[in-house]
Amino acid sequence: MEITSDNKTETEVEVALRGRFDAHGTDAFRQRIDSEIDSGVHHLRINLTAVEFVDSTALAELVRGMKRCRELGGDLMLVDPSDPVRVILELTKLVAAFEIV
Amino acid sequence: MTELATTESSLDLYRQWATEPIAERPRFSVVIPAYNEEWRILPTIGAIATHMSSFGQPWELIVADDGSTDSTVELIEDLDLVNLRLMIADGNSGKGNAVRRGVLAARGELVLFADADQSTPIEQFEALVAGIDAGNDVVVASRAAAGAEVASKSLSRKVFSTGLSLIVRGVFRIPVTDTQCGFKLFTAEAADLLFGRQLIDDFSFDLEVLYLASKFDLEVAEVPVTWIDAPGSKVDAAKVAVEFLRDLAIIRWNDFRGAYDSENHRPPRT
Repeated sequence: MEITSDNKTETEVEVALRGRFDAHGTDAFRQRIDSEIDSGVHHLRINLTAVEFVDSTALAELVRGMKRCRELGGDLMLVDPSDPVRVILELTKLVAAFEIV
Repeated sequence: MTELATTESSLDLYRQWATEPIAERPRFSVVIPAYNEEWRILPTIGAIATHMSSFGQPWELIVADDGSTDSTVELIEDLDLVNLRLMIADGNSGKGNAVRRGVLAARGELVLFADADQSTPIEQFEALVAGIDAGNDVVVASRAAAGAEVASKSLSRKVFSTGLSLIVRGVFRIPVTDTQCGFKLFTAEAADLLFGRQLIDDFSFDLEVLYLASKFDLEVAEVPVTWIDAPGSKVDAAKVAVEFLRDLAIIRWNDFRGAYDSENHRPPRT
């Protein structure tokens, strides 16, 4: 899975993922998210346009990141999830937990 | 040729599939065997349902539970997807048993069985359909055929699968380099013939099905795929290898005594 960052300000950043987001990619994702949050960026936009699949461990990481951001007064939003990811969010009932833009 | 529908979005087609019962015979049936898959089954169903709906052709999804003791069954029941059939087993009988029940209940013109962990992403489906369109009765995904890409497969699984493959090809003369990949496509006729006769309930059922395909002169092709070793795999490579060798002998003995000469299981559908 590829992870890139864009449009970074002091408090906000968009992190774009590409490929399959599963247990093999959760360590790298967590490191990137934690690095941003620890540097003071508490508004994260996770772009899922190019993500073809998310498994339960990936979803758990998204939830974890969201909770961390909200505890610090920010948020973690999901940007333009691909169709399979959107369906997975619906089936797992997580579509109501996140702000999706 | 199977192509993605272009007039509606895949999301719209999925929603239609999720809420409107298909009125005609399915073009495709997808069978997923499931044993204690509460962590994996919902994303897998989501990925498969989105992709298969995108063809714009009638299709059904069958999850054949194998006696799960976790919340797999409850999670699937809660989904309320009208074209998903959940087959609940009384107890745990083995992957082969679950796949057989699901395949024999399938109504599609083409029947795919796919593992619940999405190790072979559903996007590889079209490659297998192309094999059927080319005139084959059975098309198997292969992690060993030229062009396959395998990610994160453990060393022990690689060693055992290579060794077993050599035995299968040498002893059984099954011209398939990977008999065990959990992503196989059958015509309905081939599915009924093979799963109506196969007897093995555990992981070696794949080998038995391919043995029978050879016995009954079916056309079998294998297609290189991209395969990702999913964490939490239930395959204990060493244990499975021992059982595999045992089942090789059992398959030969079954054939010798005529156990495959007539139907052993009848499709339950009308």
